[in-house]
Amino acid sequence: MIKLLLRKCLQGLMMILIVSAVTFALLGFAGGDALTQLRDNPQISEKTIERLRSVYGLDQPLPIRYFRWLSGAVTGDLGESTYFRVPVSGLVWARSVSTFLLGTAAFAIALTFAVPLSLIGVRYNSTTIAAFIDLLILVTASTPRIVLALVALALSVRLTLSAMDRSSAVLFWLAASALSAPLISVFLAQLYGELQRTMREDFIKLARAKGLSESAVIFRHAVRPALNPVLTIAGLSLGGVLGGSVIVESVLGRQGLGTLMISAVRARDVPLVMGIVLFTSTAVWLGNALGELLQAVNDKRIRDLGL
Amino acid sequence: MSEHLSRDGFTRRRTDRVAVFGWLVIGLFALSAVFAGFLAPYDHSAQSRSEPSAPATTIHFSGLTPIIHPRRVEDPLRRTYTEDTSVAFSVGFFVRGYSYKLLGIGETDVHLFGVRSTSGIAPRINLLGTDQLGRDRFSRLLYAVRFSLIVALSGVLVACLVGISIGGVSGYAGRLMDTFLMGATDAMLALPTLILILGVRAAFPLELPMTRAALLLLLIFALTGWAEMARLTRGLVLSLRKREFVVAAVALGVSQTRVLFRHILPNILPSLRTRALLLLPTFLLAEVALSYLGVGLQEPEPSLGNMLTAASDLDQLRSQPFSVLSPALAVLFFTLGVRLIGRSERV
Repeated sequence: MIKLLLRKCLQGLMMILIVSAVTFALLGFAGGDALTQLRDNPQISEKTIERLRSVYGLDQPLPIRYFRWLSGAVTGDLGESTYFRVPVSGLVWARSVSTFLLGTAAFAIALTFAVPLSLIGVRYNSTTIAAFIDLLILVTASTPRIVLALVALALSVRLTLSAMDRSSAVLFWLAASALSAPLISVFLAQLYGELQRTMREDFIKLARAKGLSESAVIFRHAVRPALNPVLTIAGLSLGGVLGGSVIVESVLGRQGLGTLMISAVRARDVPLVMGIVLFTSTAVWLGNALGELLQAVNDKRIRDLGL
Repeated sequence: MSEHLSRDGFTRRRTDRVAVFGWLVIGLFALSAVFAGFLAPYDHSAQSRSEPSAPATTIHFSGLTPIIHPRRVEDPLRRTYTEDTSVAFSVGFFVRGYSYKLLGIGETDVHLFGVRSTSGIAPRINLLGTDQLGRDRFSRLLYAVRFSLIVALSGVLVACLVGISIGGVSGYAGRLMDTFLMGATDAMLALPTLILILGVRAAFPLELPMTRAALLLLLIFALTGWAEMARLTRGLVLSLRKREFVVAAVALGVSQTRVLFRHILPNILPSLRTRALLLLPTFLLAEVALSYLGVGLQEPEPSLGNMLTAASDLDQLRSQPFSVLSPALAVLFFTLGVRLIGRSERV
């Protein structure tokens, strides 16, 4: 168990290091930073720009800058945003709350669809329900988040939610549903498929032979083994949710991590871009690790193998 | 047993029919991309400043011939238009308009449909209304499909090249290489791709000309989109390595590259092709997202993404939701079509 945890931590650390280094290198090599645009201003002399560059440490070679950034990041100091003029860490934390809420709501919506539907589908084993689940998977899988977000926007305009009313609960749930559509398809497909596979196992036959009711068979014997792949998928889909939040937030005008990333990209605010990349990849790794940890809790075989 | 067979036969037939529908949708998209110039009545960047944000033109019928009336702005602030019913122009097929290159070779000025006029001055027919600069949205949509599909298709090709090479090497070379490459692949698959794409995008200037923006998008797609292909290729290569014909080829002293390219690759190509097709909507959506956010393909060239920025004009979104969101509808149909094909090809 501890071995598993340690290995996960090491893997995550490596991943975050590589991702941040590659992003940093790309941002550095492309040659262009927040000060590039100042050159267009005739009132600012080349000298001033050079001085500013040394103030921000931009005149140092790339590896040194990276290590400086990294040693700051370890202590929680991600530098100062060149656009917002405030520390990056505070900005990212403040904005991540809203995105976190939205993502949690999306997960909740997806689960409220996927869990009951797949349980009912397995319990009653009828072709109509199976066809309905199949259709729902197809529709939710092929409706892109950007389309849903735009439809949600059109709906909110139709419902005459004015621009001032942007923080309303209706809009929040519209955004969360737009974010959750691909999750519904992934969860439903995985859980339903896995439950169907489990129902053909020998231990299910045994449970039935013992004379247990079908519901008891499903709840006591089928759900737990079927849960593992779903936990993996849940951990893996965190990245997609974070990416999707960029779209949903910017379409529906919510202030979150996604919209922060867009303003950072538009302003070519390197510290802020780096901060968000670091934060999101850490969050994704945490999600994956949590998924695997829950699997180990759920399944004794994984625990014993130390896999 | 026989019941089993007939049931399988039934589902097989049904999925085939579904797949045919999917191919039909994709085929329509391909046709409209290739023949955008012929299908579009107007040049995608031609502005008609007297008709900004106009709703779709109403088509009347006089007997059997479709006619339209010229219209005038009634209230420029609320963008209401009135039709001048005293004059009528007939709408016909194969009308001469602006000249374009058909299939990239011959220059012609015949369009599928348009407004006929004797005096040379005719009102414009806007099937999906116009945007804020008075450009015909229907024509722009056709060209947008072309530009977006080109970017998505080349993105898939580049990402496949990278992914198949990495996956092939990973499945065929030693353990150490495999562990390293697959570790990178897993990390790539788990990462928030769109945020990474935006991060890479931040390294380059915001405003880029069309071709350079498209090339940049390709580079970004290749950098972030190879992982899925690599994972699949590696699995397929690994499963084939143990097969008799590969072992026999190796035993005969065939070189490693030849085994990989002549014996393994042809056998895994069909599976790879299906997955590549399924990647197409992913890249199309990435283009749509980036262009919508203003960091992808930029105006005046239309793309499915940058056309959708019109949705931020809430008044127009309220009065003409269908026209404004027509590019989103196109994206939806495209992804649906590809999914339908993918569903029946998956075994």
